[in-house]
Order: sequence, then C-alpha cells, then structure tokens
Amino acid sequence: MAADGPAVTARAIAAGRGAQHAFGDLSFELPGASFTALAGPNGSGKTTLFETLLGLVRLDRGELDVFGQSPRRARTAVAYVPQAGRLLHDGQFIGREFVAAAWRARRWGISWHRKDAAQAVDHALTQVDGHALARRRLGELSGGQQQRLLVAQALVNQPRLLLMDEPLASLDPAAQEQIVALAAHLRDCLGMTVLFSTHDVNPVVDVADQVLYLAGGSGRLGTIAEIVNDEVLSALYGVPMHVVRERGRLFVMRDQAAGGSRCAAEMARDAGRCA
Amino acid sequence: MTWPALLEMQFMRHAFAAASCIAIAGSAIGYFVVLRRQAFAAHALSNVGFAGAAGASLLGIDPLLGLFGFVLASAVLMALAGENVGQRDISVGMILMFSLGLGILFVNLYSANADAAIGILFGSVLGISDEQLHMTLVTSLVVMALLILMFRPLRFASLNAPAARGRGLPVTALNLMFLLLLGATAAMAVPVIGSLLSFAIFIGPAAAAQAWTGRVASGLALTITLALLESWGGIAASYYINWPASSCIAMLSFAIYALGWLSSRRPRWRRSARRAHPVAS
Repeated sequence: MAADGPAVTARAIAAGRGAQHAFGDLSFELPGASFTALAGPNGSGKTTLFETLLGLVRLDRGELDVFGQSPRRARTAVAYVPQAGRLLHDGQFIGREFVAAAWRARRWGISWHRKDAAQAVDHALTQVDGHALARRRLGELSGGQQQRLLVAQALVNQPRLLLMDEPLASLDPAAQEQIVALAAHLRDCLGMTVLFSTHDVNPVVDVADQVLYLAGGSGRLGTIAEIVNDEVLSALYGVPMHVVRERGRLFVMRDQAAGGSRCAAEMARDAGRCA
Repeated sequence: MTWPALLEMQFMRHAFAAASCIAIAGSAIGYFVVLRRQAFAAHALSNVGFAGAAGASLLGIDPLLGLFGFVLASAVLMALAGENVGQRDISVGMILMFSLGLGILFVNLYSANADAAIGILFGSVLGISDEQLHMTLVTSLVVMALLILMFRPLRFASLNAPAARGRGLPVTALNLMFLLLLGATAAMAVPVIGSLLSFAIFIGPAAAAQAWTGRVASGLALTITLALLESWGGIAASYYINWPASSCIAMLSFAIYALGWLSSRRPRWRRSARRAHPVAS
C-alpha cells in the first residue's frame, strides 16, 4: 500500500499571509508510510503549512509536490483532521452520522449508494476502534473519543496523507497515548503518511520517525535526537535555547544564562528608573 | 366534490395548502439552520423584509419585489460577515437593527399605505390569494430542489467546516448559498404567515427533532412531519376555537420543542439515579 516515491517534497517553500512569511525557505521530505511530528511554538507556521499542503494557501516561493502533484490536484488523497474543539455544532449527532457526512461529500445531490457508504464508514470505524462510539451522540463523548471519530471521518474517503492539527491539545495523558497509537497504526497497517502537529514532542518520541521543527520563520527536519538539542534549536530560534532531559522527557527552554539574566538586568534597570 | 367542514371554504383550503408548502421547505431549511447555529440569522431574515416592502411602497414598486430584494441582499451581507459564530451574531444584529430602522423611516415617509408594509410582518394565513398560493408553491419547490442538490456538501460543511475546507469544498460559497436559500424561504413565507410564524417553522420542529434523533435522514423526516403537524394543528385549532392561527402554531411549536427537550434529558436523570443508588445503600 505504501507509495513508491515520497508523499511530500518541499523545496525552499515560503508562504504566509501578508508581507511577512509564516515561514521562508523551508525544505523537507515526508516519505510514504511515515509519521512526522510537526513541532514548534505558536505562530511558527504549523497551520499555514497545513493550509499550504491542502492547496488553500498559495506558495510565495519554492516548489511543493504532494504525491508528485500540486497540492490542489492531490487533494483527494489528503485529509485534514481539525481539533475537536473547533467544531461549530452542538454535537447532537451520533458518531456514525458524523463519520458518514464526509463520504464523497464533494458530490452534489443525495447519495443512493447506501451500502457503499455503510461499508466505508464501518471500515473507518474499525480503524479507530470506534464501533462503540457509533451510536452515541458526539456531545456526550470525551475529547479523545471525539478525536477518534474525527480521524474516522477523515479516513472514510481513504486518503494517503493525513494532516492532524494539534490532536493532543486538551486531552488527558491516557487519551493522548491512544491518539498517538492510532496514528502509528495508520502508518503501519494502512501505509499512510501522517503529519502530526503538537506543542510537545514527548508524547510522540517513541513513535515518530522524524520531527519537522518550525521556529523563527524557518524549519529543520530530522530525527528527534538530531533536532531537539541545544545547537539546532538555538539556530532555529535565533536565541540560545536549552534542552533538558529528565527521566526520558525533553523540556525546551530559553537558556537561562544568556537570555534570562539579560532580561533580569533590564528589569532591574527599569525598576531603578521608576524609583 | 364535498369537503369536510374544516375545508369547506376556499380560504381554509388555501391556508392548508400554503402552510404545507412553507412547513416542508421552511422546516427542511430550518433543520440546517439549527445544525449550523444560524437561528439568529433566520430570525433576522424573517424580519428585515419589512423594510424592503415599505421601501418599495414608497417608490411605487410591488412590495413583494422589495421584500425579496431586501431579504436576499441582507443574506449576502450576513454571508460576507463571516462564519465565526461570535462575530456573526453581532453583524446579524446590526443588519437587523439597520433594516428595522429603515423600515420605520419608510413607513413614516409614506404613511398613506403603511398598512400593506406592516401587514407583511404579521401575514394572514387565512387570507391567501391564488397568486400567493402559486408563488408559495413554486418558491418552495425551487428551495427544496436546491437544498437536495447541495445536501451532501452542506451536511459535511455544517458538521465539520475545517475538514470540509481542507477537502476542497467551497465552504464560504456554501454558506452564502445557504443564507440565500434561507432568505428566499423567509421572503416567501413572511407575507403568507408573518415573520413570527416563519421563525416558528424554521426553528421549532428542527430543534425538537434534533433532541429526539441523532441521525440526519430520520431527523429531517421528523422535522418535516412535526412542521406539518404543527401548522395543520394550529390552523385547525384556530378554526375551531377562533384564536389567531399564528398564536396556535407558535404555541404548538413551543410545546413540542419542550416535550423533545424534556424527553432528551430524562435518560440522564435515570442514569444518575442508578449511579447514586449503590453509594446510598
């Protein structure tokens, strides 16, 4: 099932609204059947990168291929999974209806292929282990359960590239673990390419094949060990950064010695001016 | 042909026929109104027509034309205001306020025939002409046809707009098309049944149905059934007890919604009661 070539190839791309790019000169490659964590602080261009991959935002520079095509042409092979909290409705619908709503939704009119739709929905629900959620209303479900149904909805049209936008936000650790395991299952069993944005790389450390870290208008791709270290992050952020390892977990912070003390000095000076 | 007593008079037959058309098209649109949380837009579009009708009277044009034009223009403005729920409500409120202000001004400037414009706010279900009946039938058929045409994209965009946009669905254009359909339905319904009743048909049956079922197909079917029962029941009640038909329909609509709301909550009480029991014992 895995694609022969890379799923996504970006060469020196720049995009973003207005004069200032969200990112400029970003190059990376997502192999087929891979799990890439998309990390970086708020405003580093994670959402813009998703929109670029979906063909919703035009590139200002560079080249971007999705399965060897332009993002707009490759759209049928790509699915976007938004955060559960971003949905507008009250969640009156049962899980099954929510998943089914995406099936061939680009077509006009009413579908008469009820069997095909039911099969596609069953298959998608099986992938996320969501049959127990099929008859329950969305509003009654936990954040993690809603997130699984969102993934099922994205799977219903059988995409090859899955873009998951902060799927771990506001989930408890157990639910986070489930969602990460689900993304890994989609890579391993369906040969899907997963791009998974997250504030914190710790929940995906054991599973992600690589991390694409965006910061300071640019980004770097590599294994987590290659990217999440003092040297690379300092270069990306443009200020000294420090990575702390504590009981197998990674913490990224501004270097106290360089950044922190200067800030404290400024504050002391300002305080003197006030007095 | 002999009619039962209720339908002996032509105006009663017209009332039932027009109310049925409006109930079907209006409640089907209303199902998506409730789903998309655009109740306030539905309320506003049911009321802004008044200004259009008054303005048209002032200019010597057919008030119905002014009403349609004004409602559709308001629908476009509401679509341009965006899809963010918080911002959207404020823009809709501003459009409603502005158009009611205009309407009052127009009536004030042209007091000779203000009754026609004001009458539009209330409508009269028991005084429907042949022409009005034809207009209602044609408009509701067009609205239903377009709604069926855009059913699948609209359903996905209503349930998960960000994912729909990612899939390449024209989410913004769908919102505009939907508001135009809602506007056309309101413009059709308001002169016939009044703005109060239009809103009752848009919101009441759909809200009750969504409390009862979490499926789209059965929800839509239940919505339309409830709307038909409410409008028929309201007109019949008005005939027998001589209350205004719009009051009867509005009360029936509210009662059914309350029933749906109560019954959707009961299971939770039971569940919590069961859970509480072992702790108590």
